[in-house]
Amino acid sequence: MNDKLRDEEHFSSKKIDWDVWKKIFSFLKPVKTYIILGLIVVTILAAGDVLYPFLTKYAIDDIIIPNQDLIENGLEPDLSGLRTLIILFVSFMIFQSISIYLFIIAAGKIQTELAFNIRKKAFHHLQELPFSYYDRTRVGWIMARMTSDSRNLSEILSWGFIDLAWGLLLMFILTTFMFVINYILALTVLAMVPFLVIVSIFFRKYILKAYRSIRKVNSKITGAYNEGITGAVTTKTLVLENENFDEFDDLTTDMRMQSIKAHLLQGLYFPSMLFLISVGVALVYLVGGNLVISTSAALGIGTLYLFTNYVWQFFEPVNNVANIYARFQQAQASAERIVSLIETELDIKDTEDVIEKYGTLFDYKKENFEELKGDVEFKHVDFKYNVGEKVLTDFNLKVKAGETIALVGHTGAGKTTIINLISRFYEPTKGEIIIDGKDYRKRSLGWLHSNLGYVLQTPHLFSGNVMENIRYGKLDSTDEEVIAAAKAVEAHDFIMKFEEGYQTECGEGGSRLSVGQKQLVSFARAILSDPKILILDEATSSVDTETEQVIQAAINKLLQGRTSFIVAHRLSTIVQSDKILVLENGKIIEQGSHEGLINAKGYYYKLYTNQYSEDMLHPNKN
Amino acid sequence: MSNIQKKEKPKRNIGKNLKLMMKWMGKYGFLLIPAILILAFESYLRTIVPLFGQHIIDVILPNNSEVSKLPAILGDLILGDRPTQLLIAGGLIILTALVRSIFIFSRRAISGVFAERTAYNLRNNLYKHLQDADYHFHSHSETGDIIQRCTTDVEMYKRFISEQIIQVGRLIFLVGFSIWQMSRLNINMMLISLVIAPILFITAIFYFRRVEKMYHIIEDNEAKMTTHVQENVSGARVVKAFANERYEINKFDNLSRKFTDSDYKLVKRMAIFWSSTDFLSFIQFFLIAIIGIIYASNGTITLGMYTAFLAYAGNIIWPMRQLGRLVGDFSKAIVSVDRLDKIISNPGEYVDEENKIKPEIKGNIEFRNVTFKFSDSIEDQIVDINFSANKGETVAIIGKTGSGKSTLINLLVRLLDYQKGKILIDNNEVKDIEKHHLRKNIGFILQEPFLFSRSVEDNIKIAAKGVSEDRVKSVAEIAKVHEDIVNFEEGYQTLVGERGVTLSGGQKQRVAIARMLINPKPILVFDDSLSAVDTVTDMQIRKALKEEWKESTVLIITHRITTAAEADKILVLEDGKIVESGTHNELIKRKGAYKNIWEIQSKIDFRLK
Repeated sequence: MNDKLRDEEHFSSKKIDWDVWKKIFSFLKPVKTYIILGLIVVTILAAGDVLYPFLTKYAIDDIIIPNQDLIENGLEPDLSGLRTLIILFVSFMIFQSISIYLFIIAAGKIQTELAFNIRKKAFHHLQELPFSYYDRTRVGWIMARMTSDSRNLSEILSWGFIDLAWGLLLMFILTTFMFVINYILALTVLAMVPFLVIVSIFFRKYILKAYRSIRKVNSKITGAYNEGITGAVTTKTLVLENENFDEFDDLTTDMRMQSIKAHLLQGLYFPSMLFLISVGVALVYLVGGNLVISTSAALGIGTLYLFTNYVWQFFEPVNNVANIYARFQQAQASAERIVSLIETELDIKDTEDVIEKYGTLFDYKKENFEELKGDVEFKHVDFKYNVGEKVLTDFNLKVKAGETIALVGHTGAGKTTIINLISRFYEPTKGEIIIDGKDYRKRSLGWLHSNLGYVLQTPHLFSGNVMENIRYGKLDSTDEEVIAAAKAVEAHDFIMKFEEGYQTECGEGGSRLSVGQKQLVSFARAILSDPKILILDEATSSVDTETEQVIQAAINKLLQGRTSFIVAHRLSTIVQSDKILVLENGKIIEQGSHEGLINAKGYYYKLYTNQYSEDMLHPNKN
Repeated sequence: MSNIQKKEKPKRNIGKNLKLMMKWMGKYGFLLIPAILILAFESYLRTIVPLFGQHIIDVILPNNSEVSKLPAILGDLILGDRPTQLLIAGGLIILTALVRSIFIFSRRAISGVFAERTAYNLRNNLYKHLQDADYHFHSHSETGDIIQRCTTDVEMYKRFISEQIIQVGRLIFLVGFSIWQMSRLNINMMLISLVIAPILFITAIFYFRRVEKMYHIIEDNEAKMTTHVQENVSGARVVKAFANERYEINKFDNLSRKFTDSDYKLVKRMAIFWSSTDFLSFIQFFLIAIIGIIYASNGTITLGMYTAFLAYAGNIIWPMRQLGRLVGDFSKAIVSVDRLDKIISNPGEYVDEENKIKPEIKGNIEFRNVTFKFSDSIEDQIVDINFSANKGETVAIIGKTGSGKSTLINLLVRLLDYQKGKILIDNNEVKDIEKHHLRKNIGFILQEPFLFSRSVEDNIKIAAKGVSEDRVKSVAEIAKVHEDIVNFEEGYQTLVGERGVTLSGGQKQRVAIARMLINPKPILVFDDSLSAVDTVTDMQIRKALKEEWKESTVLIITHRITTAAEADKILVLEDGKIVESGTHNELIKRKGAYKNIWEIQSKIDFRLK
């Protein structure tokens, strides 16, 4: 089962992959209106940013300078132009504020909805994926897709791209406007822009890179803390404090160096931009100033002022564009990872015909479900996991409805595989598995699973209260049914001992319950679902004497009237089962009842004379 | 430390936490002084820049040498005919920018080194404290919470002492110098340009405080959603087996929707804040622009001054919103410091250990009237224990969980310290022996041993880095784990631990045994550390050990009667007391607990036959 685990690193292609982006863009459809709104607003904002300094130019050239001339000539200043200015200014204020409001709303809406849609699609697909996918995919890998990748992508596609649009529009409008007003000064300003762009892209790229390597070291440091804490007692008993500290120091030193490097890069970036812009300002003053004082070309001081402002106006858009450019590669990696999750092929799925008749995984046609009786047959089944050797070869087994089958054997003998196949978590690579006389692939996964009960060796509870956890076996059951199920497996008593009874929160993964209690809750869940086929991966974990007895009683209750497959560890379970299969290397080497196998004095006899002594001591190991 | 002098409110002990902040900086804290000095210069230079514009507009262009507001040192340099003056002015602008750039860069470099050095020291300090913290600390704290402190809170602190202190400094200098420059130009205009700033500042404080709460809600909603995914994925078997895919999707969609909506609510709040404060800022500019135009039109101020005022208004307005955020950041940093101090103020278990003795340990153990109680419990966990084990002997300890077996041996290696009685090793009381020395001489294997994230080989030789490959193999063979290891795809180089392959409980226990065997030990302690190994292998391991390590004294906690039967002495523990002791043969003659267990086993054997 240790197929190659999915690896983060191989998603690092540098070229733009349009196929990937096309798929991601399709998530944007529901927020089309907001995209259009965003683009309109951004255009207004960019135009406003260009016009705003123009108000000052107007004030200087058309109000202040004429008035100063009037005063020099001993006349009263004429402030009638002020009214136009006030109207322009106030309307600018209102427009700009509303635009900013709408800009944030649009980008925010796109971001949150896009993330929502990506997550929705991904989670939906996760539910369809067969169990084999979960076997070879790390939880962390999936979690990263669902959280950081979808966040990353939605941020860059909303704020990022709207910012980019704003930046490009602003630069475009600014350039056009400058040429309209004065082409000489426009050229002077534009001469600086390429340098700004180059410097920005250069720094942005390296800064991002630096931060990425900081994040890497940081996760190593977090890992080291984790190890230091969870392994603290082991460290003490082995007296490894100094060695561990030295290794930790290597990590933090690395972190320090990388971080200082990032600080230096950051520290160089802004000053270089500042310097370039100041050169631009100086050039504008020089060129513009000479135009003002030269008698031939009459350049207003207001225009000169305007252009010194426009040099600064380039800073932010260039910065933004460079930022998006740098982040784009990262975003593409996120996009690829998400697409790879969404497009993971379903190894196990129902055929079209089956779906037609029985419905999809999310929408059963219950009315077409035949009743499941519980005859199970393996016919010449071969099986091998994706990578690795064949686990089963020409495996045959016939089980009558209602029988209890115990599977016994060493780790790797094939017990889990058989259970996986019966549950159709995996399908046979050759041969067929027949339930009630028909290949189970001819009926739907939903049909099988809604008739299947499954109790895990390590019981899995969800956060939520006890009631909800039991009800998970049958979602539409009443409180009374849940309680009846709990009573049936003797879980009721311990549940009622909790202060809040059935409303007691189980904690994440059921952490607030003891192992034995979790076991009983999962039994209640299974009995509530009233399955025709029951799979029991029996626990070896040690529980105290009383619980041990209670669990045994509960198991007996569970087995009644169902076809059961048990990976058995408990002596009593094995003894009571109808048939014991002793497996080795994917083959049944012995089978029969307990007495029969003991009398045969074969492998089973040897296995259990060795383990009995241990088994009997378990009750003392609460 | 200073709780006696002053009983301060426990809620937010700002003074104490500020002192801690300074203390953790150590000598690197002095780097803050040049950083702040440079900051002052840098901010001053920034307020000079608009004056170049003023000089050019008022002095050079109209050819009027009266009204320059540039500092005389700079103003006097701009001489010659007008194009030359423009050239010099342009040059000075570039020069000023160059000096500013150098200042900014060196300031950032200094504060970067300062912040990272401090964070580095803090991280190491935390790690050291965590390693040194006693058994009680580790059994009573949540890993996730501590990691959070060591990462997020350190980051918070670092950001505060570097970026945020600098930001506050820059705002103060920039606003201060700008006001001063404006007062040089025109007092009335200066006053007008300060009208909106306080409103902005206060709005920002309120806003960021409100938003803080919203962030918590969002984080909470996100956590719920993430937990659901996590549980769904790790419980995929259950989800599928109960055919609850539809339910899971609905639940996820609800949680995801809730998270999205709360996130969007924040967006709306943001939109209102930024647009309204932008509007307020525009009002400020509007006031300055209009009144400035009137003043400039009637000659109260010059045109150049007018443009300078516009620039200074920006210097004052934009930072005000940031200042509102910084107030919030400060309170967060204080909380972080408090949380970090909880770890750092823990003295650890190695205080006063340096001067203790380091005798050669032969392996004679004696427990004399040993009594122990956990600090947070009422009853004694270990009551008046007496027994001894001579060099080379094996003592088995059996008893139910909670009977005190593990506590007993934890006392021996001083993971816990007894309150009454004495534990002697070769007639030295263990409390007098230096802890590291003691533990180096006792091979201790836990029931659930921890393997580090590295290769199997490195795990085995972790306590003896220099040993040969053959030695590693030979101890792995004694521990009967060699076969398992070579069957891994990458053999001894297989990565184990958190980020590697998952070993079975039995494999882990055996690797831990091999790891312990790498250095010879006069005393071996097994805390039920063969429980996950099958009986046959268990026996083989113990046999091999006996041959190799005849001289060592062995304490072994076990549930297997076959293991106990072979010991020189058996202790049966119940409620922290020894209820029976003796050899196997002695004990089965008595009608006690041991005999009981023995009989249950016989019955099984009978049934088998």
